[in-house]
Order: sequence, then C-alpha cells, then structure tokens
Amino acid sequence: MVWRLGALVLLTSALVLGASSVAYAANEPAEPANLLPPAEISTESPVANSAATQTTETTEPGTIEVSRNGTEARGDNISFAVTDFLRSNKGTNKTYNNHSFGYRYPVAGPNAFALVAAESALVVYVPAATTQTLGLNFDEPATQEAFKKLIEEIDERVANGNLPLKTLTAPFIFTSEPSFTLDDCVYQFGVEVEPGYYYVSISADSNASGAVSGSSNANTNDPDNASLSTVAHYVNSGMLVPASDVVIDSPPQGVAAVWEFFGGIDYRPFWVSLRTSLVAMIFVFVLGLAAALYSLRINERLRAVLDSIFTIPMVLPPTVCGFLLLVAFGNSTGFGRWLIDHGVVLVFTWPGAVIAAFVVAFPLMYRTARGAFESLDPNLGDAARTLGWSGSRVFFKLTLPLAWPSIAAGTVLSFARALGEFGATLFVAGNFAGITQTMPLAIYFQWMGGHTEVATFWVVVVILISFLFILFINWYAARVQRYRQAGADIDQDEVCSCEPHSSEARSPEARSPEARSPKAGVR
Amino acid sequence: MKKNKRLLQDSRTARTVRKSRLWASRAMVAALALMLALFGLFGCAQPAQDGGADGQAGEQDTPAPSAPVVELQAFAANSLEKALPEVQALYTKANPNVTFADTQFKGSGDLVAEIEGGAAPDLLITASKGSMDNAVENGSMDEGSRRDMFANDLVIARAIGSDTKINALTDVLGEGITSIAIGDADAVPAGQYANQALFTIGAYSDESGKEGSYDAAIEPKLSIAASVGNAAKYVESGDCQIGFVYSSDIFRFPGIETVFVLPADTHKPIVYPGAVLKGSANAEVAADFLAFCQNDPEAQRVWAQYGFEVL
Repeated sequence: MVWRLGALVLLTSALVLGASSVAYAANEPAEPANLLPPAEISTESPVANSAATQTTETTEPGTIEVSRNGTEARGDNISFAVTDFLRSNKGTNKTYNNHSFGYRYPVAGPNAFALVAAESALVVYVPAATTQTLGLNFDEPATQEAFKKLIEEIDERVANGNLPLKTLTAPFIFTSEPSFTLDDCVYQFGVEVEPGYYYVSISADSNASGAVSGSSNANTNDPDNASLSTVAHYVNSGMLVPASDVVIDSPPQGVAAVWEFFGGIDYRPFWVSLRTSLVAMIFVFVLGLAAALYSLRINERLRAVLDSIFTIPMVLPPTVCGFLLLVAFGNSTGFGRWLIDHGVVLVFTWPGAVIAAFVVAFPLMYRTARGAFESLDPNLGDAARTLGWSGSRVFFKLTLPLAWPSIAAGTVLSFARALGEFGATLFVAGNFAGITQTMPLAIYFQWMGGHTEVATFWVVVVILISFLFILFINWYAARVQRYRQAGADIDQDEVCSCEPHSSEARSPEARSPEARSPKAGVR
Repeated sequence: MKKNKRLLQDSRTARTVRKSRLWASRAMVAALALMLALFGLFGCAQPAQDGGADGQAGEQDTPAPSAPVVELQAFAANSLEKALPEVQALYTKANPNVTFADTQFKGSGDLVAEIEGGAAPDLLITASKGSMDNAVENGSMDEGSRRDMFANDLVIARAIGSDTKINALTDVLGEGITSIAIGDADAVPAGQYANQALFTIGAYSDESGKEGSYDAAIEPKLSIAASVGNAAKYVESGDCQIGFVYSSDIFRFPGIETVFVLPADTHKPIVYPGAVLKGSANAEVAADFLAFCQNDPEAQRVWAQYGFEVL
C-alpha cells in the first residue's frame, strides 16, 4: 500500500511537472505566436472590407483601430496613421550640460508631431516636413478632424482614466512653426537636448511684460520654472506615417488568448511552494515523530509544558510566529545579529520561508503522531521487548507501521498547511519572486498589484491542490479502514479454525483493555 | 491478501513481524520514490526560473569581485511598481552585466522597517523625505549617495464609470462620500500627504500628517490601506468610493481615474529620495543606477509616461 502511495506521489508530481514544463515552454513561443499575422488578418479583414464597401467616397473618418500597447493607431478613410505614440504626463526641469531647456517633455522622435494640452488651448505641432511627405494640409478641417479622432482614441487607451483628451474642451490650434507663444509661455517643438532625443520645451516668454529672467539661467528651484510644470496637463506626441504602413495587431482570440494568458503567467510560485513545503516536511516529519515519541516518555509535568510549546504555533496567528522568528533571526536583536555575523542569514531568504513553513506545520504532525502513538497498545511494545527486540526495532517495525495511517494523514495535513502558509512567510521571508514568493503570497500580491486574473488562476490552483489532498486523505482512510476490517475478519476466521492456539495468543491482547483501564483511572 | 492468509497460520507475533517487514520495505520504496520526485523537482525547478532572480546563490553570497556580473536588489516605494522595472530593463540593456533581483515594492515605511530588521538591499527609493530620513537616522543608508529623484502629485481617485464628484477638498467631508481609501500614515507616505491635506480642512489633527488623529466627521468613512497601491485597489474594486493616491497610480491601475487633483499647497512637496545602502557590496553600480534613472533620456521617457517628474 505504501509503495502505491509512493508511486502516486511520483506519478502526480511527474504529471504536474510535465504539465507545467509544457506550460513554461509555452512562455517562449508565446511572444512570436501573438505576432503571427494570420490571426490578425483573419480577424481584421472582414471589418475593413465591410467598412470599405459601406463608405467609399466619404471623408468622414470611420472606426479607429488602436494597437494593444497603445503606440499605433489607424482609421478607416484616414490616409495617415500614428506610430510611436507617447503620452508624456510629466516633464522635467532638468538641465543638460548646465543648459536649461525650461520645462521639457520627451517626444517620440525627430519630426514627431506634438500636442500640448494646455489649459486654454490644445496646441498641435505638425512639422512641415511631415505634412509635405504625406501631402497633408492641416488647414483643412477634414484633416484636422481626422487627426483629432486618431489622437483622441489612442490617447484614451493610454490615459488610463487620467484626464483623457476627449474630456478637454479647449480649442485645437494647429501650427507647423517650431516655436509658438501662448499665454506668456513659449512652446518650442522638436528641441534636441541630447543627441537623438527630442523634447517639447515650455519656457517663460522673455518678451512678455510679466516675464522675469530668461529661461537660460533658470534652475530647478526657480519658482517660475516650477510653475511652468503646470502650464500643460501633458504632451502627446508620435509619428505620422502613411496609413498603408501600419498594421494594427489585434488582440488574440479564443485559444490564442488562453494560450497567451497561460504563457504569460510566472509559474515560479508553484515551484517555490512545492520546494519550500517538501523541504519543510522532511524536518516536520522526522522532528514531529521524534517530539511525539519523546513527549510520551517523559514525566507528566514536563510533558504538559513541552506539549504546549510544541502545539502553540497551531493556535497562534502565523503573524505572531513570523514576528517571533523575525525578532529571533533578524538584525534588530543581539542574537539575530550574532547569527548574521556568523553567516546564518535567514530573514528574507528561502531558508526563512522553510522555517516559517516548518513552524506552522510542525504542530499538526506532532499532534497526530502523538495521538497515534498514544492509542497503541503499550503491551505490544513490551511483548516485543520480551522477545529481545531493540528499542529502534520496536519503533520501526511495530510502532511506526501500526500508527502509520494516522501519521500519513498527519503528514498530508501538515504538508497542506505548509503549502498554505502566508503570514509567517511574509513576515520572515518577504515576497521575492522565484525565491520566497509562494502561491498564497502570489495571490495577495498579484491581486494588490492589479493582476486580478493571475490571482484568480492561483486561487484555482490552490483550491484544486487542497481538494486533491482532502480527497486523498479520505480515500486513504477508507482504504485503511477496509484493510483493517479485512484483517479483523481474518482474525475471526483464525479464532474459529484453531481455537486452543489462538485463544492462548489472544489472551494478552484480550486482557489489555482491562489491564489498561485501572491504570488510566489512577491517572 | 492470499499470501497474507497463509501467513496467518503462524503465531500472531510472527505475523506482525513479517507484516512490519513488508511495511518497512514498502516504506523504503516510498521514500525512494519521494526522493526521486524531490530530485526531479529540484532539477526541473532550475530552468523554470528565468534570469531575473536566480535562486539562492545570488541572494546570499555577493558575487566575487572578479566576476563582472552584478545583481542589484532594490527596495522601492510601492508607487514605482510599474515604472521602475521598465527603467531597470533599460539599465540592463545598457549594462548587460547588471541584473535586478525581484524588487520589493511596498509602503516606504515598511521598507525602512524591513531594512532595519535585517533585509539588505543595495538601494532604496522612498516616496517621502521623512521615510528616507528615518532610514538615514537608523544608520542604514550611505548619506552621500542620497539624491532627490522624482516628484509626484496627490490626487483623489474614483472607479472608472463612477459618478462621484469632488470639486473641492472639503467635498470629501460631505454626505455624498461614504468610504475613502487612505494610506496608513505610519508606513505609507501617500497617507501622510493625504493627512496633511486633510489637516488644511480641519479633518486631521496634526500638520505633519503622521502623529495626529482623524476628525469624527471623516473617521468612520476611512479604510486604512497598507500601501498606496492597496488604496488604489480598494477604489478599483469598488470597496471604497474614492481614495487618496498619486497621479502616477492612475496609470498603474486601469480601473481608476482622477476626480480631483489636490493643490500643491495643501501638502508637502511629494519628493522621492533614493540612496545606496551602507555596506552594499554593489554600491558603485547602485549609485550609477540611481543616476541613470534621472539622467538617461530613455528612462526619462518612462517616468514621463507614468507621471513622475524627474528632478
């Protein structure tokens, strides 16, 4: 039976291993997979076709498509498209080589268009070079409308709820001049600060009546410069290219989406959990059995104290265990510092996670093992010793096998407890992905980090694992029950078949309950 | 079972002995299987970890001086959770020998407490001068490496699609607002800034935003969050109607939007100081990374996108 248990463990772990290594392998091809054109073309073309057939000669811009990463947009019936879209929500006052550029916002590149969302106007700069190449005229309302539509859509994707362009009511102003003055501020477009990096800079208009010192000697502490940061809400920029140059990647559908989701999940919490719990279980198993045995051999009072110490992590909140471990091994106490000085670094490391799991799982093992040992007939051990068995032989060949069903159940329970450990682990081991981030930690931090779907995935995994554990315990208990029942039936047969012999053999066991009860009464 | 039945003809003791021998051999097989499974786990767990954080070795021993490979461990304010990894990727691209261990993004106060408790990252970026001051005072930081890195704004956020309106800060005291997410002032700088703002309308008793208590008019509405990200999450999930978060958090959480920007004069300037830890084995690289965050034009783009003003 036990070897079957072993085989089952092996089989399930092999299965899980296989499954997740496949899933992990999927991680690599997942990237190129979602770039594959067939899916895009198939999902995209019907839309494009139907739109094209409906409106052929209208200048009214139709549906706008925005790429998933929010950097590209194109629309039906719009001859140009946006690439490299960048929404600079904040700029910087930083000087470069001791030269101030006012308050500057990074833009997409040389010849990038830029939209400065100021309070009184939305100033759009489109470089003359771009309009010429594309053959556009931004004095035409239709072109302006098309541009607005494109930018509003892509901005909404990127703004994420932070003052979308659509909600701003200020009028659009289009310009192709690299310098533009509005409300005592000079907007300079396409300013190359470092070689290859371009900015929109906003500085005080030195010609204006109220303007104080020129922008050249301003620095970060200059109150004027500081107020410059509030002139614009943000700056949008990007490159305008012919619409035919842009293919928008559409989000994967159906199987591809599922594939991408599972490919994108970091499976390390599963392995960390398994590794931590398994290693902790080795210690829990050995020390739990040892503690259970030992506590039965010592005197009553000491046993009561030890029993409380061994059991208390079960009733304490895990955070208390974590706190105590942190105090014991951390940098803040003399003992912890001494340990750290001698190379024993446990706090915020993987061994710390193992210790946390050990501390919370130990009582379960200890309690079940002690219960199992206590329920054994002490006469059996005595009888074995009269036959000349050594203490260890009695333990390994008599006590352990007889107590095995309970111990196995205790092992599975404490393993499950170690697997589910959260509070003490967070306290002692922290949340380091791939090192100490177990599944319960991943659930919490993924949820708090806004990745609800990943958290849900881990919740499902944990529920499945727990369900399997309980199923296994029940199945195993039922099996043991049947086995024992069968054994009892055989005993009965035996009694009938060879009565004189068996009654003699039975006598010590038959007597045992009576022999024990007065003793128990004395206790 | 049949075999067992034959054994039963023997005396009980002999039966037990044989049975337990059988048990023992099976137990050994099981143990062997378990060990095999264990080794399988360890063997296969290795490739499952990708380059970013490689297990124990990088965590415990600092790399030998001859080895050019450096793994930096950063502790950073919770609000940097999305932007900083992108900048770290840029840095790794520029310096392939430098990788980053799993960066910890928590409330600045928690990070300082963890460092005091024995955690030893290479660098720390907090969301307030006060929390960095604490870290400097308890002797954790190399003061010479300290630099003010970013500025941020405090806003009131609501869930996207909610019709909650805030036109002035005093509106949060009104009856229309039933639940407010706010950072725990002990550990979350965003909570301290929010309390400073609440002080200006008489809803908090201490100007520093840390030591006081809330007015009875607002206290029952408050949900105290362990990090500014948690506060944002409470709003996103609908558990709270509004929340005090940074404007940069709006870009981090897709489900929330700005409903009111707190005027800059209602709270202390929101400045993120960064510093290298005293005794860090990678002090030079860590300092270089801090400078890179501010000076690299590509990094500046990332900060601009996520709404951090580079100082």
